[in-house]
Formats: sequence, structure tokens, C-alpha cells
Amino acid sequence: MDIFQTMKIGASALQAQQVRLNTISSNLANIDTTHTPEGGPYQKKDVIFEPTTLSFDQSLQGAVQGVQVAGIVPDPAPPRLVYDPNHPDAGPNGYVKMPNVNVVEEVADMISASRAYEANVTTIKSATRMATKALEI
Amino acid sequence: MSTVGLFDQTITLMQKVMDLRLENQQAIASNIANADTPGYVPDHLEFDQQLQQALSNEETQSTGDTPGNPAFFPIDGAGGIEAVQPKVVKDAQQSLAGDGNGVAVDQEMVDLSKNEILYEAATKVLSKKFGLLKYVVQGGK
Repeated sequence: MDIFQTMKIGASALQAQQVRLNTISSNLANIDTTHTPEGGPYQKKDVIFEPTTLSFDQSLQGAVQGVQVAGIVPDPAPPRLVYDPNHPDAGPNGYVKMPNVNVVEEVADMISASRAYEANVTTIKSATRMATKALEI
Repeated sequence: MSTVGLFDQTITLMQKVMDLRLENQQAIASNIANADTPGYVPDHLEFDQQLQQALSNEETQSTGDTPGNPAFFPIDGAGGIEAVQPKVVKDAQQSLAGDGNGVAVDQEMVDLSKNEILYEAATKVLSKKFGLLKYVVQGGK
């Protein structure tokens, strides 16, 4: 049994939440981006998580799983249409296609990500304390 | 571990408790890590009853027809303390709202603290036990 297992699990979650936070900040940074190399406005990106059993203890019948990022996928929601005929990216009818990013949603997601990060820091701290206590016997 | 001589059942029991608490902590950490994973169903470890059962098994063995000497019954045999395996229970009662994730982070955090305290309790008992033994082998000095 590996005493550092808990820390590895916690670390995998910290990494995953970090990727999520990066994606959220990318969404927020590009909230007004109407021009992308692929053409069209920026599309909101979502992070998908999946459990991982990689190199973890198999004796618990798969109960012990870390987490990893399965992929970052663009949100298929349609772009927000804003009427601004003077905008360089405005269509013939005067509407500009703005990114489908919702600030409220992103901020709520951001808080959720940092809370999840904190929760995993707590598990890592708890693992450290337990290992230290075992050394004190 | 053998029960011969200085090291008795309490030490084996505490050792097992520490092992089980460590495994339990990993399961809780895994639930917390997957608190945002769609479709993840949390796992919980149960071992209270198994441990209780193993303890009573050993008591019957010691009061049964085997000789009273603790060296005569195997502590690590089947039904003994060292053979206790935790039972993995999938949490089915959680309401699987939205993305199908069943993790209740607050409950997991409570379990995490509780588990840590009980682990510490086991380490305390062990170090007291060793303290007593030390006191004895040093002739009460």
C-alpha cells in the first residue's frame, strides 16, 4: 500500500482543476473576440473530466480513482447577435456575431473550480498529517 | 504478526485499523477528486462489521478448546484480523441530479476529517502500547 496514494489522487485533481481554470480564463479573455483563425467568433470551451485508474491501487476494486481531463470541447451554442452596423465584422444586416460566452456562467464556474481546488488541497494536507502521525509512533 | 511474547492482539488490531483508514482515505480523496466528473458514482469503504467479526472470531478461538496460550491460534489466518478486507459500496441513494455525479463534497470532507482523527487515535494507542512495553523492558525506569 502506498502512503502517497492520496497525494497522487489529490494532485491529479489539482491539475485537472487548473486546466479548467485556464479554460475559464480563456473564455473570459475572449468574451469580445469576433475574429478567429478558424473564422467566425470565439467559441466557449468546456473541459470534460473523466476518472482515471492509471497506476493506482487495484486492490480496492477500482474504488480509488484520480481524475484527468478527457478533452476540451467547444460549446455548440449559437453565437450571440449584437446589432452594430459600424463593426468591421458586422454582417450585411448589421448584426455582429459575438462569442457564446456568458460572464455569469463563467464566474460561477470559476468559483466552483477554486472551491474544488481547495477541497483537494485539504485532502493532501490531511494525507500529510496522517503520514507524519505514523512516523511519530 | 505473531502474538507470541510482547506483541499482542492490540498491536495487530491497531496496525490493521491504520491500514484500513489509509485505504478509506484514498477512497474519500478519490471521491473529492471526482466531484466534478460527470456520471461518477462515489465509493465508500465499509469495514466496521468485518473487523468486529474478526475480533469476536479470535475471542471465540481463545476461549474455545484451543489452549489458552495466545501463541496457539493464528491471528493472520482466515477470519483473523489481518485477513479483513474492506467492502466497497457504491453510493446508490444519492440523487443523481444533472450530470449524474453523486458526490456530496461536504459529506466527504466530514468523512475525511473523521477518518483522519480515527487514524490518529490508532497511532496514539500504538505509541502508548509501545511506551508501556518500553517501560517494562527497561525495568520500570
